[in-house]
Amino acid sequence: MSEEKKAKTPRALATKAAASIGKFVKNNLASSVTARSEGKKVAYAYIADGQDEIMRAMDIVPGWGESFAGVCSARRDAERFLQKAESDNFSRSLCTYATCTLGFDMIREELNGEPVPGASWGGMGRPDVILGSGQLLCDPRFKWPQATQHYLQDVPIFVSNMYYPPFDPKVDHKEQEKFYVKYAKDELYACVRFLEKHLGKKMDWDRLAATVELSDKTWDIFIDAYELRKAVPTPMDTGDAMNTMVPVTFNLGTQEAYDFYKDLYNELKQKIAEGKGVAQNEKYRLLWGAGLPSWFALGDFQYFNDKGAVFPVEITYRGGEKTERLDLPKTNDPLEHIAWRWMRYWTHWYDKARKRPGSLPKVERIIEYIEDYKCDGVVFHSAFSCRSWHAGIITQANVLKKIYSDIPVLIMEGDIVDISSYNEADTHARIDAFIETLETAKKKGRK
Amino acid sequence: MTQSNNNGLATAEKYYTQFGSRARELKASGKKVIGYLSALGPVEILTAAGVVPVRLKGNVSEAITKGDAYMETIVCPFVRNVFDAAVKGKFDFLDGMMLPHQCDSIDRTNDVWSLNLNLPYWHFLNVPHVTDDPSIDFTKEILRVFIGTLEKFTGKKITNEAITEAVKAHNENRKLMRELYDLRKTNPPLMSGSEMIKVLVAAMSLPVDESSALIKSVTKEVKERKAPAGKKAARIMLIGDQIDDAAIMDAIEGTGANLVMDDLSIGAKMYWQDVDVTSDPLQGIAERYLRKLKIPTTYIGDSDNYQENLEIRFGHMKKYIKEFSVNGVILFIYKYCDPYGFEVPAIKSFIESAGVPVLYLEDEYSTSTLARVKTRIEAFLEMIA
Repeated sequence: MSEEKKAKTPRALATKAAASIGKFVKNNLASSVTARSEGKKVAYAYIADGQDEIMRAMDIVPGWGESFAGVCSARRDAERFLQKAESDNFSRSLCTYATCTLGFDMIREELNGEPVPGASWGGMGRPDVILGSGQLLCDPRFKWPQATQHYLQDVPIFVSNMYYPPFDPKVDHKEQEKFYVKYAKDELYACVRFLEKHLGKKMDWDRLAATVELSDKTWDIFIDAYELRKAVPTPMDTGDAMNTMVPVTFNLGTQEAYDFYKDLYNELKQKIAEGKGVAQNEKYRLLWGAGLPSWFALGDFQYFNDKGAVFPVEITYRGGEKTERLDLPKTNDPLEHIAWRWMRYWTHWYDKARKRPGSLPKVERIIEYIEDYKCDGVVFHSAFSCRSWHAGIITQANVLKKIYSDIPVLIMEGDIVDISSYNEADTHARIDAFIETLETAKKKGRK
Repeated sequence: MTQSNNNGLATAEKYYTQFGSRARELKASGKKVIGYLSALGPVEILTAAGVVPVRLKGNVSEAITKGDAYMETIVCPFVRNVFDAAVKGKFDFLDGMMLPHQCDSIDRTNDVWSLNLNLPYWHFLNVPHVTDDPSIDFTKEILRVFIGTLEKFTGKKITNEAITEAVKAHNENRKLMRELYDLRKTNPPLMSGSEMIKVLVAAMSLPVDESSALIKSVTKEVKERKAPAGKKAARIMLIGDQIDDAAIMDAIEGTGANLVMDDLSIGAKMYWQDVDVTSDPLQGIAERYLRKLKIPTTYIGDSDNYQENLEIRFGHMKKYIKEFSVNGVILFIYKYCDPYGFEVPAIKSFIESAGVPVLYLEDEYSTSTLARVKTRIEAFLEMIA
C-alpha cells in the first residue's frame, strides 16, 4: 500500500498498558473472523449502545465497525474503502466510520465472504446479525445497519433505543427518569428476544447478572485508574487514553477488560511514585474537551508533548463514571440496571448545569475536569464527517468562556478516518500558536 | 380572513415571498407563535394549545453570515441556514420554538439554538427513531411532557377534546392538500411544481383553518383552468427533505419538464398520512408520527426479508410513480445528511428496479451552486427524453 508506506512512525506511548492495546484490537477483529469456524455467532455492533453485556453473556462475538475503521485510519488504509462506498453513491460527507466499513463489506461480498486481501489486521468477519441503536448518540447507529443490509441482505437487524431526558434548565429531568428507564429496559428485553430467535441461543440470566456486575466493577476501576492522572506531572495523557479506551469501549463485560484497568492502575501508581511524567518538562496541562481524534494523526499528541503540553484528562471515550456517584436505584433486574447506569451517566452533569445560569451539562463536565486536573487550556477536535460528537463544540467553547473563565481554547479541524481533510503543517502551526497563547495566559495568570 | 375564494395562488405567492408575515400579524393581535423544524412537529398539539405553529424555513438566496459564529459548518445546510435567519432576527414573530428530535443536526444543536435565541418558550421533543410498541408508549409520555410545558407557557389547559378537534382539523387540511395534488395527475398537469411549492410553504406558515381555506381557494382556482395544450414532457418526481424554495422547481421546469409529484418532507410526506382519531388522542398522534410518516429517521426493518423492508420504507414512492405517471426521479439530498445519505443506494436501486431512472444530487441549501445543479438536471432530462 502506497499510503501505508507513507505512514509515520507510531507515537511514543508513555504507559505499557497503552502499548499492549494492539493485542486487544487484533483479538477483537480476529475473533469476528474465526467465529464461524468455532461455531460462534457474530453481531455487528456499535459502542455505548448498552448491549455489551447481552452479547457477552450469550457468547456472541461483537464485530465493531468503529474499531475496524479506526484501525484502517491509523494504518492509512481507509481510502480504498471510502472510495468503494463512494462508488455506490455514499457521500464523502457521511460518517466515515460507516462509509469505510461499508466499502469493506461491499468488497468482502464481492469476494463471496472471503477475507479482503491486505485488510488491516485481518478485517472483520461476516456478521450473523446487526445490532443497531436509535439512541441519542448518532444517526449512523441505525442508518449504517440499514445501509449494510443493502449488501448483506440475509443478515437481520435489530435496532434498540436507549434514550435519556434532554437537558432543560427549567425542567427536573428526574421526574422523567422512570419512563425513560422503562423504555430502555423494554428495548433491551426486545434485543434479547431478537438474539434468541435469530441465533438459536438462550440467555443465561445468572450469567448476565454476573456480567453486569463485572461491568460495574470495570467502570469503577477504569475511573480510579484515570483519576490517578490528576498527579503532577501526569503519568498518562490523552494520546495513551485513545488506546486505553479500548477495553472499556469494546470489551465491557469481560474479565480481560477489568484486569487491564487493574494493571493500568498499578502501573500509574508506580509511575507517580517514581515521579515519571508524560512530558520531560510538563509546562501546560490541557483538557481534550470534545471530539474523536484523527486516528491517522495520533502523532499530534506527541507534538503537544514535545512542547511540554500534556492532556491529563479527556471527555472523549471517558465512557463511564464511578457507579457510586450515579446513585443507581437498586434492582434485581440486570437489564434495568444497565438502563439506569447509562441514563444516569448521560444525565450526570445536569444538576450542576441547572445551578449555574447559562450553563450546559457538557460545559459543567469540562469545568469539573479543568479544576480537578488543574488544566490550563482546552483543545477540541471537530471531525467533519461526524455531527454527533462535533456539532455544538463552538457553543461549548463560547459558554465556557462566558460563564467560567477566558481559558485558552483551540478547536482543531479534521476527520476521524478521511485523511484528505488533514494537513500536518497547518495543524502543527495551529498547535504552535496555541502554545504561545498558553504561555501568554500563564504569564498573565489566568485567574 | 387572509384570502378570498378566488386568489388562492396570489395569496400563496404572497405568503411564500413574505414568509412569516401572517404570523407577524397574528402575534400583533395577541396570539402566541411557536416555530418548529421538520415533519416530526406534532402540529395537532400546538393547535390544541391555541398557539400558531409555524414550520420554519431558510432563504436559499442568502449567504450564512452570522450563524457560523455559533454553529459548525458540518451541520445540515438547511438547519444552518434557518439558524442563521433566526440569529439575524428574521423570525421576530416567534414566542418560542419546539425542536423535534429528527436527526443529529437538530439534536446536537438544540443548545446552540436555545442559548443564542433565548426565546420565552423552548422545548426539545425527544422523538425516538424506533417504531415498536414500547416506542409508541414512550412517545405518548414525551408528548405529555410537551403538553405540560405548553400548558405552563400559555396558562391554558390542553384538553383531550381540544386535541381531538385539532386532529380532525389537520386531517381535513391533509385531505385538502391531497386533492390539490390530484390536479397534477393530468398530462400536462394543471399546476406547476413551482406553484405547488409556494402553496406548501404558505400552508405551513398559517393556522390550520387559514391553511385549509387557502388550499381550497387554490384548488378551486386551478380546477377552473383549462387543460394546457402543448407537447408532452418528462414527468418528474422530486425526493428529499425540506426543499422549500422554488429555485429547484424552476430549474427542473425551466428545461421543459413537468414536476408532477414529490416525496418531500414539506410535501407528500406531510400530507399523505392522517392521524387516526383514537379515544386517547395521543395514541393516534404517536402512531402517525412514528409509524405512518415515511421519513428516514424513523427506523423500519422488522421483516426478515430485505425486499419487504424496502417495500415498507419506499413502496409509497413506487405508488406515486404509478399514480402520477412519473418517468424520472430526482433524489436531492443535502450535504452532511446522514439519515438521507445512507439511504441513497437503496432508494436508487429500488426505484430503478421499477424501470424509472434516478438522478442523485447532493448539494447545499443554497442557490450558489444552482448552475451546477441545473446542468446535471438538463443532462438527466435529455437522457430520459
